[in-house]
Amino acid sequence: MEFTLLWAALSGAGALYGALWWMGRRDARLCVRDLWEIALTAALVGLAVGRLVAIARSGVNPFSHPGDLILVRAGVDTVAATAGSLATAAWMARRTRFEQLDGLAPAALFGVAGWHAGCVFRGACLGTPASLPWAWGQPGSEITRHPVELYTALLLAMAAWALFRLWLRDPPAGMVTGLALAAAGLSRLATEPIRPALLAGPVWWYAAAAVIGGGLAGWSLRFGRSAGTLPGPSPLQ
Amino acid sequence: MRRLLLFVAGMVIVGACASGGGVGDVPPLPETSADELQDLIAGTDHPLIINVWASWCIPCRSEAPLLRAAHDAFGTEVRFVGLNVRDGQDSARAFLNEFELTVFTHYADPSGAAQGSLGAGGVPLTLFYAAGGELVELHFGVIDERTLALNIDEIIRRSG
Repeated sequence: MEFTLLWAALSGAGALYGALWWMGRRDARLCVRDLWEIALTAALVGLAVGRLVAIARSGVNPFSHPGDLILVRAGVDTVAATAGSLATAAWMARRTRFEQLDGLAPAALFGVAGWHAGCVFRGACLGTPASLPWAWGQPGSEITRHPVELYTALLLAMAAWALFRLWLRDPPAGMVTGLALAAAGLSRLATEPIRPALLAGPVWWYAAAAVIGGGLAGWSLRFGRSAGTLPGPSPLQ
Repeated sequence: MRRLLLFVAGMVIVGACASGGGVGDVPPLPETSADELQDLIAGTDHPLIINVWASWCIPCRSEAPLLRAAHDAFGTEVRFVGLNVRDGQDSARAFLNEFELTVFTHYADPSGAAQGSLGAGGVPLTLFYAAGGELVELHFGVIDERTLALNIDEIIRRSG
């Protein structure tokens, strides 16, 4: 039972790597190994930051039992984790500005979609009650519910596909990253009302992510230069 | 890759460190038996959640803040009961003090006999009952926010 979260994480990582590998085959500009390392490191740092903030927000001193950091199942602060991941990815890709991030963004969305779809391993796909034909219930229950995590996965996968198509057309640097951030925020914003939660979800932060992402895309359209060829050697080599 | 490995190694080293806390003004936990626990379940007129925990159970630490949050949000509709198993009183009280989990009732089950009557072993363990004592969900292992919220919604609706 405890390994269900691991399976969900593996489905996310698998989706991310699969998307990177596939994108790399479609476009030789993409250095899959570098982007995979950026994504993995950013995810781990984000997880640690999110867990640390979640422990602190629950009123527990995170340094009294530092081992609790490893126990991610009972809470990772989404906003802190996202901020930590984005900051790490931006720092690791700093020499190429947005070019690497633009290559990574569609695959990252696929990865997040894979993580949400991994709810089937965790038995945690369901949201608020619904009587739609595709709604289902918990074992032994007559109450059918929205498969809200699959909705989110579907929205993210569609956004990832659209952004990958856009990326192939060589848009101004930063546009794909901005739109990916906006898509991530909007997909959560759209599904949050049908998601069961104990704590009020960070809805305003999702809206902020959508606005910031949209702003970044608009800025890149106005001032960004085309990625064309990736400048200079990889920062990871 | 070297930076990634260094980060992971750092997390493992940090995780290896640990320290304890005091019992504060948490009173000793009353002991319960299998029969008393079964009577409590059968006689409940509210949806009921029983969380089986121990202070030595590392995963129990990660779900304790969630249980407190769940009680804060649903404490008027759902009854929460903690069952501390195979544990020492001081350790259990220190745990409750650290996580401010004294907001709901906890019983001590030092032999594990009361837990045995629930039909499942191991910790952590969370059982969800509808009013009247119908077992709706038995969750083994650490529970996450979504699963907890979903099952609380389920037992409230089934009790309605």
